[in-house]
Amino acid sequence: MDAISLPDADAVIARARLGDPIALEALYRAYSTSVYNLARRICRTTEDAEDILQETFFEVCRSIRNYRGDGSIWGWIRSVASSKALMRLRRNKYRDTDQLDDELAPTRAVSTALRMDLESALERLSDTARAVVWLHDVEGYTHEEIAAQMGRTVSFSKSQLARAHARLRGWLGEEVPA
Amino acid sequence: MSTHLDMAQLIALRDGDRSEPGMADTQLHFGRCLTCQAELERLHQRTARLRALPRLEPAINRFPAVRELVQVDRRQRHWRGVATIGIAAAALLVFGAIGRDLVKPARLDAADQLQSTIHESQLLEQKLHSLTPDARVIDGRTAVVVIQLEDRIASLDAQLAQTDQATARGRTGTELNLWRQRVGLMHALVDVHMTNATNVGL
Repeated sequence: MDAISLPDADAVIARARLGDPIALEALYRAYSTSVYNLARRICRTTEDAEDILQETFFEVCRSIRNYRGDGSIWGWIRSVASSKALMRLRRNKYRDTDQLDDELAPTRAVSTALRMDLESALERLSDTARAVVWLHDVEGYTHEEIAAQMGRTVSFSKSQLARAHARLRGWLGEEVPA
Repeated sequence: MSTHLDMAQLIALRDGDRSEPGMADTQLHFGRCLTCQAELERLHQRTARLRALPRLEPAINRFPAVRELVQVDRRQRHWRGVATIGIAAAALLVFGAIGRDLVKPARLDAADQLQSTIHESQLLEQKLHSLTPDARVIDGRTAVVVIQLEDRIASLDAQLAQTDQATARGRTGTELNLWRQRVGLMHALVDVHMTNATNVGL
């Protein structure tokens, strides 16, 4: 998911690197929605997402001198945001509702009336599975990159993605009759 | 392959992931299985729907809070920098003082010792003068000894005169050494004359 392009990005980044508050605010305005959206899709609450938004741009303001321009500015900001979001997940140690859902699965499986919309189904995934789905399928991170950010293996990321899609398929009532 | 593809295999197909084991069999099955083809299509659609979810926007502008945090951070960094410089300066002063105290006694010792040695030499000069050696007759052998001592003292005096023109660095040590030699010779000279005076007195 691309962020809104920043007009005259090079000049803004150059000024931001010098600590120009107007340039830093321009970066915030250009990318805050994308950062918030990523954070909100990974974390469960708006409060967490807003905290991540603030932490991300605080880090951006502090560390923009270290941005070497190797990749896009959005790619760099996004990596800061996803790192903060995953850190927040680890810190909060949310209850893994996916495990709870597994226990309730037989009841739900027989009730086709409980079909969920995609947004609700995404929310219902475990934190880890939801983060992997979002980072891989929406933000475009590779399994290698996700594994590195999560401190896990590539196969862990792949299996999380497969399990998540299997669950989404079931919850959305998309199973193909054999 | 008798069973349908699982989700991991479907995702590997979607992503073109050739690292998955048995991809040749997977592709072979997929090419013949309408169910798996439909499943992959649903996976594509689900992924597209995920990407099309509405963008969620923050309710409040967090930038004022970010700006405040940045300013606080800058102030803290500034004061940390000032404190670091202050500590470094204080450390320099402390080490300077310690260093001076460590070095100063040695310098003072050398200077004191030089002054003390010069003073001792002056006392010996006075003592020698009080013995009025020129007023006494001395034997030839003693006269040779006295001449040798006086020549060596004259030689030392010449060297001491040269050290006065040298640079200050290291002068104290050389002077002290020469003055000590001079004092030793003066003691010897005084002893010779005292012995001669005593003998004459006898």
